Formats: sequence, structure tokens, C-alpha cells
Amino acid sequence: MVIKIEPRRGRLIIHVLNKWRLEWTVEPRYWRNPLIATILWICLPLLIPFMPRGLPIGPTSLLSSLFMANVVAISAIAHSLQTIGTGRLNFGPHFFVVVGGYAAALLNKNFGLSPALTFLAAFAVTALVGLALSPLTIISRGIYFTLITMILPLILYELVFWRVDIFGAETGIPGISRLVSTGNVMNDYIACFYISLAIALALLVIVDKILRSRWGFMFGVINEDEDVAASFGIETKKIKSIVFTLTCGVMGISGWLIAHYYGSFAGTMWLEPWLLIFILLSGVLGGKAAIYGAALGSYFVVLTRDLLRPFVGGLALLALYAVLLAALYLLPEGLWGLYRKTRYREYVPTIRVRRKT
Amino acid sequence: MLQVNNLVKRFGGIIAVNDVSMKIGRGEVVGLIGPNGSGKTTLINLISGFYKPDGGRIVFEGVDVTKKDPNERVKLGIARTFQIPRLISNMTALQNVTYAVIGSRRFREKKMTLAEAAMEALYYLDIVGLLRKRDVLCRDLALYELRLLELARALATNPKLMMVDEVMAGLNPVEADNVAKLVQRLREEFKLTIVWVEHVLRIIMRSVERVLVMNEGKLIADGTPHEVSKDIMVIKAYMGEEVMV
Repeated sequence: MVIKIEPRRGRLIIHVLNKWRLEWTVEPRYWRNPLIATILWICLPLLIPFMPRGLPIGPTSLLSSLFMANVVAISAIAHSLQTIGTGRLNFGPHFFVVVGGYAAALLNKNFGLSPALTFLAAFAVTALVGLALSPLTIISRGIYFTLITMILPLILYELVFWRVDIFGAETGIPGISRLVSTGNVMNDYIACFYISLAIALALLVIVDKILRSRWGFMFGVINEDEDVAASFGIETKKIKSIVFTLTCGVMGISGWLIAHYYGSFAGTMWLEPWLLIFILLSGVLGGKAAIYGAALGSYFVVLTRDLLRPFVGGLALLALYAVLLAALYLLPEGLWGLYRKTRYREYVPTIRVRRKT
Repeated sequence: MLQVNNLVKRFGGIIAVNDVSMKIGRGEVVGLIGPNGSGKTTLINLISGFYKPDGGRIVFEGVDVTKKDPNERVKLGIARTFQIPRLISNMTALQNVTYAVIGSRRFREKKMTLAEAAMEALYYLDIVGLLRKRDVLCRDLALYELRLLELARALATNPKLMMVDEVMAGLNPVEADNVAKLVQRLREEFKLTIVWVEHVLRIIMRSVERVLVMNEGKLIADGTPHEVSKDIMVIKAYMGEEVMV
């Protein structure tokens, strides 16, 4: 027999081909929830063929929404880590998304770099921009940091219109290589979903490992009380600069995905406040910068918008904001908070709202 | 060990520390007293690197630390506690001390793991008598325990000079006596030099060998507790000018 299940007291032992032995504890509180969540996440597109006919949203639209949820999740996870590690709230994550998108688009179109190379380039260019801006994490805090980062997308917006010859203004940069081109639209959508999912999952695992290491410990202390962290020997300036630089690079990867998914990139569309709101709300609705919550929140935000669209049409964003406001009011601890309530004594670094500037 | 030359710190028009110079030798226990607002905590903040001085120099073991960041000073061996305990309330007592071990110079030199840092943190918790409270979140600890935890955390950075800022504030006489004995024990066991800022004169006068007195940002007296208690400037600073009715 290929699989043999042997029930024991409190657990199931699964024998596969008489070679491998898996143990599964029956009691839910011992379940390996991250593993279950990952399997469900990976299996999500497999449910699409079973969608009942006559739904107002088609399979390709739904796959596109799932892809966009992953794109937002990547930025939201990076943004959450940045907020924890620097103790500052960046209001310009979409600026870094667009920098990554333009880097990928321009290098692909003008120099013929493949998507694999533009991936590295988008990360590197955005990280370099992040490095150049990282002194902001040292010289400003509170509302000043937030205001400065809020101005960054506006500057880029003006720059895009100023150099139409390079950035293409509202038309954008067309003719970018597609991420996947199999000839079958459905397969392309599914492949794109899995590429974005692989990046989001890898990021989630890496960030989780970081947060559970001594680095995460130090990030948490910086977030809670930066002065105390410094006075006990933690190199706050160095850590904040590194975290800011790398997380900006990761946000650039979202831009890379967008550019190669659509085959054209118009930064003006992504510099609009809705993307900022999506990224911020994903983090907050997910559960105050809990990284798993950010992934959960991005799915909630993007899918709510796209599922509302067939019903309310052009008012989809308005309806979304109404739903999000209600969710923020009813779930102050966020979606992740509902799960965390059962394990409240574990320390995981999260955002602490600062009152001093 | 510590030499402070002509230190000045201004906050707008107020001169919080005004031309203060002092020397502290290795192994000394020095009390730093003065009325409220006399500049004691500002001086501690300047020595620990929290504030940057507007003038003067701070030299620690021959190294000019005036422009160094607090984390660099900690690695050189300057530790401090806070007047109001500043601990991470969402972390347990053990985690709070562990991050101080992580921040210490020894952590990097010995290439310690997180688990080894936690083991070392347990040792410091045991020394201050908080081992049983290691898994209690800081927000659930009493003030007395928070004071002890602050001491453990300062100790975990492997200091040579420890500055204790009003560690008795808010404690009852028995707790204050216990903390005073603990500070003395730490000094002997770890061969520490201690600068002790305190308002409880009863304890400070019998626990230290030398007392520095500050008033309105200036150092007005330096001597043994007995000498200082007779100093007319100190009496005036605490009691005010004699008023004839």
C-alpha cells in the first residue's frame, strides 16, 4: 500500500511507501499552522477550475487578483519589517515599488536584459536608492520621517512628467518582456501567480527567520525604545540603515513583477495614493506589522476590491474603503490579532505607536 | 578612570550643566547628589552619550568619548540605569537582559549564539534575585523588581563604570536597603566603579566614599560624606538661605 495511516493515541502516523514516516498530532493546538497555511496558499489556484459558472468574476480576473495580492503582500511584508527594524513609518513604499518597476522596464527595453537579470537589477537599484535615503532614519523620526517619505513619490511623479522621453509619463514604457509567455493565457496567469507566490513565500520565510534571530530581537528593541537600545550597546544607526536599504530593495521587486506581468510600466498609475493605502492597510489590517498578518491583509484588501467591482462597478474603491474602515473599527488588533490572541505570551516584534517626534 | 573637563550643556536659555569638571578613580563609589533640577541626570545623560555636550570633554580610560554614540560607550564599559525604569514591557525579564548581553562587546568577541546570550542573562537575573521571575512580562513586574531588572540589564553589558540613577525612587525603606546592599555587592563582585545619583541621603551618605554635590548645573562640593554634610554651600543649596524673622 502506498499510504498507510496508523492511528495512535492523540496522533496519526502516516507511512508513505513504507519508507517515510510522518506524524500528525490530532489535537488542533499542536497543529503546524504555518505549514497548513502554506499548503492552502499554494493550492489556491487549483480551486479555480471548480468555480461555479455564472459568477461575476472570471478565472483569469481572479488569478490576476491573486497575483496582485502577492505583489502587495511582498511590499507589505517588507514595509512591516522596515517599520519594526527602523521604528519609523514610511509613507512612501509605492515610491520604491515604482523605482523598481522603472529600473526593470528601462533595463529590459533599452539594454535587452532578461527578466532574471532585471530582477537583480530592480532589487539593486531600489536598494541603492534606499541606501542613499537611509540617513533619513537617523536624522528624523516620527511625523517628520513620515512627511519626508510621503514627499518622495510626489517628487518622482513630477520627474516622470519632466522626462517624458525616458519615463513615458502616463503612457509609460511599453514593450517589456513578459514574465512568462507559454502561448496559453491561463497557463501564463497561473505561472505568474506561482512566481509571485514563490517570492512572497521566500520573503516570508526569510523575514520570519530574521525576526526570530538575534537580529529580530534587536529590531524589536529598536522599535520599542530606540534610546534604550542604543544605551545598551545595540548599533541602532547601522541596523536601521541596513534594514531600510534592504527592505526598499524588496519593495522594488514588487515593481519588477508589475512591469514584467503587464508588459508595460506607467509609474504614474502606481504612484497614486491607492497603492500606498493598500500596502499600509495590509500591514495594519493584517495585525500591526505582524509579517504573516501583512500577507493575510494584502489578500483581504485586494480581493475585497476585486470582488466588489462586479457589484458596484466604478465605486469599487469607495466600497472597499468603507469595508476597510469597518474592519479597522471592528478588528483593532487586525486579522492576525485574532490568531495571536491564543498565543499572546510569545514575543514577536510588532509596531509600537510612538508619540514623541 | 573617568575624567570630565569643563562640561557644558544648554537647553535653550537654560544651562543645565555649567562648566563641570571632575575625576573618578577606578573602583570608587561616588555619590552624586543635589536638589531637584540641579543637573545630575543631565550629567549622567552626557556621560552615557544620550546628550551631546555643548562644550567640554569626557575621557574614559584614556579614550575621548565626547563624540561617541551611546552604543559605542557601552562597548567601552559605560553602563547606566534610568530614573524611571525603561524596559521593554512586552518582553519577559529574561528577554530584557538578553538583549543587553547581545549589545555587549563580549557577545561579538565570543561569537555567542542567542541561546548562550540567554544563558548568560539567566546568570545576571540570578545575581539580582530575579531568576524566578525570568518568564514574567515586564509589564507585570512590581517597581522594586523593575529596579533590580534595570541593574541586571546594566550588569549584562559587562560594564567597568556603572551609573545608577535614583534607584531608590518609589521604594519603601526595606526595599531601598536591599537595593543599596545589592549595589555594594555588585561593586565588590564585579570590581565596578559606581556613580550613584540619589535623593535618599540617609542611604547614600553611608554607602559611598565620596560625594559630589551639584546645584544649578554647577559642582559645588566634592568630598567625603562627612565633609560634604558640613559644607555651607551644600546646606544652602538644600535648605536655602537663612531667613531672619
